[in-house]
Amino acid sequence: MSDHTLIGTRMPRVDSRAKVMGKAKYTADLKLPHMLVGKIKRSPYAHARILNIDTSKAEALPGVKAVVTGKDTEGVKWGVFPYTRDQQFIQIEKARYIGDEVAGVAAIDEETALRALDLIEVEYEELPAIFDPMEAMASDTELIHEDFPNNINIHVNIDTGNVEENFEKAYYIREDTFMASEESYFHAEPYAVVARFDHEGCLEVWCPNAGPHMKSKPLSNSFKIPLHKVKIKKIAIGGAFGGRSEICPADYICALLAKKTDKPVKIVFTREENTIATRQGHAMITTHKTGVDREGRVLARETTCYMDGGAYSSTGPIATSVPFLSMEQAYRMESVRYNGYRIYTNKPIRGMIRVHGRGFACGVDTQLDMIADHLGIDPVEIRLKNSRQPGDYTSTKSYVSSCAMDETIHKAVEKSGFKEKWGKLPPFHGIGIGTNSVQTGFPMGIRGGSQSFIKFNEDGEATVMSGVVDNGQGNENMLVQIAAEELGLLPEDIHLVNADTETTSSDPGSYSQVSTFVGGHAVKIAAENCREKLFKVAAKVLKVDPQELAAKNRLIFVRDDPEKSIPIKKVVRISLLNFTSVNAEGGYWPKVDMKREWVKNPYGQMCEAFSFGTTIVEVKVDPDTGQVEVLEATAAQDVGYALNPLILEGQFEGSIAMGGQGGMLTEYHEWMDGRCINPTMLDYKVPLACDMPRINNIIVESIDPKGPYGAKEAGMSIAMSAAQGYSGAVSNAIGVFLDSFPLTPDKILAAIKEKETRQLKRENADKTEVN
Amino acid sequence: MLLPGFDYLDPKNLEEALDLLAVHKEDAKVLAGGTDLLVRMKKGLLAPKVLISLKSLNELSYIKEEAGCIKIGARTPLADIIASGTVQDNARALSQACEKIGAITMQHYRGTIGGNILQDNRCHHYNQSDFHRSGHQACHKNGGKICYARENADRCNSTCQSDGSTALMALGAKLVLLSKGHERTVDLDKFYTADGIMPHDMESHELLKDIIIPINGARSAYRRLAYRSAIDYPIVCAGVLVRPSDSQKDRIDEARIVVGAMGRAPLFLAQASSSLKGKKLDDTDAFRKAADASMDSAATFAVHNVGSTLEYRCSMISPLVLQGLKEAASEK
Repeated sequence: MSDHTLIGTRMPRVDSRAKVMGKAKYTADLKLPHMLVGKIKRSPYAHARILNIDTSKAEALPGVKAVVTGKDTEGVKWGVFPYTRDQQFIQIEKARYIGDEVAGVAAIDEETALRALDLIEVEYEELPAIFDPMEAMASDTELIHEDFPNNINIHVNIDTGNVEENFEKAYYIREDTFMASEESYFHAEPYAVVARFDHEGCLEVWCPNAGPHMKSKPLSNSFKIPLHKVKIKKIAIGGAFGGRSEICPADYICALLAKKTDKPVKIVFTREENTIATRQGHAMITTHKTGVDREGRVLARETTCYMDGGAYSSTGPIATSVPFLSMEQAYRMESVRYNGYRIYTNKPIRGMIRVHGRGFACGVDTQLDMIADHLGIDPVEIRLKNSRQPGDYTSTKSYVSSCAMDETIHKAVEKSGFKEKWGKLPPFHGIGIGTNSVQTGFPMGIRGGSQSFIKFNEDGEATVMSGVVDNGQGNENMLVQIAAEELGLLPEDIHLVNADTETTSSDPGSYSQVSTFVGGHAVKIAAENCREKLFKVAAKVLKVDPQELAAKNRLIFVRDDPEKSIPIKKVVRISLLNFTSVNAEGGYWPKVDMKREWVKNPYGQMCEAFSFGTTIVEVKVDPDTGQVEVLEATAAQDVGYALNPLILEGQFEGSIAMGGQGGMLTEYHEWMDGRCINPTMLDYKVPLACDMPRINNIIVESIDPKGPYGAKEAGMSIAMSAAQGYSGAVSNAIGVFLDSFPLTPDKILAAIKEKETRQLKRENADKTEVN
Repeated sequence: MLLPGFDYLDPKNLEEALDLLAVHKEDAKVLAGGTDLLVRMKKGLLAPKVLISLKSLNELSYIKEEAGCIKIGARTPLADIIASGTVQDNARALSQACEKIGAITMQHYRGTIGGNILQDNRCHHYNQSDFHRSGHQACHKNGGKICYARENADRCNSTCQSDGSTALMALGAKLVLLSKGHERTVDLDKFYTADGIMPHDMESHELLKDIIIPINGARSAYRRLAYRSAIDYPIVCAGVLVRPSDSQKDRIDEARIVVGAMGRAPLFLAQASSSLKGKKLDDTDAFRKAADASMDSAATFAVHNVGSTLEYRCSMISPLVLQGLKEAASEK
């Protein structure tokens, strides 16, 4: 790939300067003329029937411009899938969690809006609330949604057959249960939305999103206006991590207030609202039963997972599947059966999150460590015996083309010194390994592909249009880097117009790890098409065949005779004078099995590429306090091809912070009767830069045959292997396999004490025997 | 969230400040660094009509040695205390405690020692938004009659999480409080009420002037546990002091063990402390017994209201006190 000028280089991001200097404008910074402040009245009860809402006092307050309740919504219900439409944007009949939307207010300033919220009188009849998913599932009578018996929202069943037979054949079988509490994202940017209707009846919306087209469709449905009249505008976004994937009730409420007042309205969430009223990661109870042969190869696995889904469906079918899919992609299994249950409770809504279930992934890997321990082999060997290989089909029938899982294991092992350290470290000093895999996209039907347009301006610079959104991961830079590379321009010659539903075509969004693979690919194809047009014109001028040309540094030149060249600007001008267009389009649609469906048919080609990786972590545990000091984390990841190592390393490090340091050691929510006790950044312990260990980043390239330049998902999935690496290392340090996450000092200390008591008892028993 | 409205007063000297306090009394709050006060105001926990700023009162920012004592002005930035040689030499526990408060930026630009001592007690049922506190009955500190942290409690059990106070109480510090035409000195361990609603025994027209720490050859240490290495309150902490006897240099004449973040005030554990009198400076066994005794006494005060688990926090008292004693005793 040495003939690339920009691709593969450590090019600093085009957006970073504005962001670090505070110049980038986020939704909360937006100020429009005559803009009103919107606020949302939320239920203070976990489960309550709404008997009456009296808004008259609020409406009478000077400065209040509009009050909306469920009555203004015509009962519109939202759900990602037709079979999960269970959430009204403003509740009419009952509230199902503390934070559920019951009314909205628009006023001239925040103070007035807050006073108006207090003046809205809501008469509730409290209903029995259920916070424990197992209790919720056991109940036939206390239903959170009438149509869902036993409060089971989603049941995903996957069965490859032969599970029982293979358990019969197994040399060793064990069954273990793992628990993990829910977690939050703590995006740098709390949720915010600005909405207005223009003079043509178009709805304009600015908000953080993981795909503008995922926002425009539900708004178009809800307001019964055509899609072209819903304009989701581009704006800087401060993080998504799976928590910005869907429409947010606030989007609808804000638009409704804008409609009613005929003025722009801005709603900015408090940190608490961002925690309780956007999305959270699921709490999980997962049981893995695994049977292996004498060598440690997995013959059969049965997994049952109960997920605390909170009050509404959200991305339920996906969230119930992805933890399993990540595991079945990472590891070979002869046979497997999965039952995933997503259960309604009266808690905040759970959705997708980067780590995809720390209780799930850590359970699979911890159990592998337990089995290895029993068989007398080390954790690396058992992983190599079961690791995914290129050319395999996954258990749910996806073909895996590029895969360098083994290479990531070997490189992480070598860099971390795992082999030299395993079993030889001093007491309370441990090392652990985890692996990961994640899909690059999934079947999205009509929105599965991305299209891009490129237009040249007469000065030889280009405007690139793409639906791809950047939540912070560097997507915009990726698009600019690709376009500049293919067009032979410099990054500053490219003007990117993206993530705007008015000007850019449909795109799958950035939440299935598919932005580069699909959206980047579309830009690459559009740029190639555009370049072809320029080459045709340039070839005539230079009197060579277009095939002989190349473009670089604003010049088109003969590849074998670089002195023979012409500036791109000149080619553009010649084209225009000769009635030849210098625009082009390109699109990319991944070849996936469109019949694959999360619940009804979870088999078939999921996506075109999967990424794989390994994380190794070394820790020291203080046996007196249970506190963990992380000495080093080593992440090796098969990214297909590294388009920009600088950005990738940022992803690696963010993943270790989110999945490992925070996700495994400090982050969890505390509750009292459905009330979140720690919704703020002070009380929810997201790690700080000074808490982070030394990190070794190892980029492994497998050159995916379908990916642009061979690239595929990169870096997000390290959060999963980091979780297991941390968990494995702590378990190794204290000599106890831990099964409840996160691994807070109290749990670690209790495990150490329990082990000591057990040892003491055994020693005493031995003494008695001797006597 | 916006700050509620208030009048901002900026007295130019101490006298003016005391005058304003005498006039406004309960309506006023004193603003030093604001890291505690402004956060509580934004949460809607209090809405003073008047804020009296100490911004111009440079006369309250000093660290000096005087009459065998260290005197620290209440408005002294935490960073100055950390950098102070005399504090490091004669009151190491305070230096160590200040290093743990907030983060380096807060220590430099905002946080003051007076503010750290006078920060309000905290409870994860109370330090919440209006929304969080609505929908269930108000607790004692919020003007109601119940306690969510301890069933049937007749008073507020909010926790004092001040690092500075815990260290200073171990150091046997005194506070000098001023009001118009009046000055009083109070031992820090007598400064606390037994109620978390108004934890400090201080009148609304009084101003903390300075903190006096005796220099008497004692050695001290401060230990704390938190989830993060910065921007975190302690979930349990210990300040300890040992003063070798003048006649027998290897024996302890006086010890002071103070456990913090476990009760409404830092807890001076008199019995555990006195058990060390006459013990040798390297008597680890005595230290361990004192640490265990500290745990037994202090644990009875604690409630589950500042994160982690109550069991864990209580069980950490002993190791922290022990580590502190060992460190203090071996200080050269």
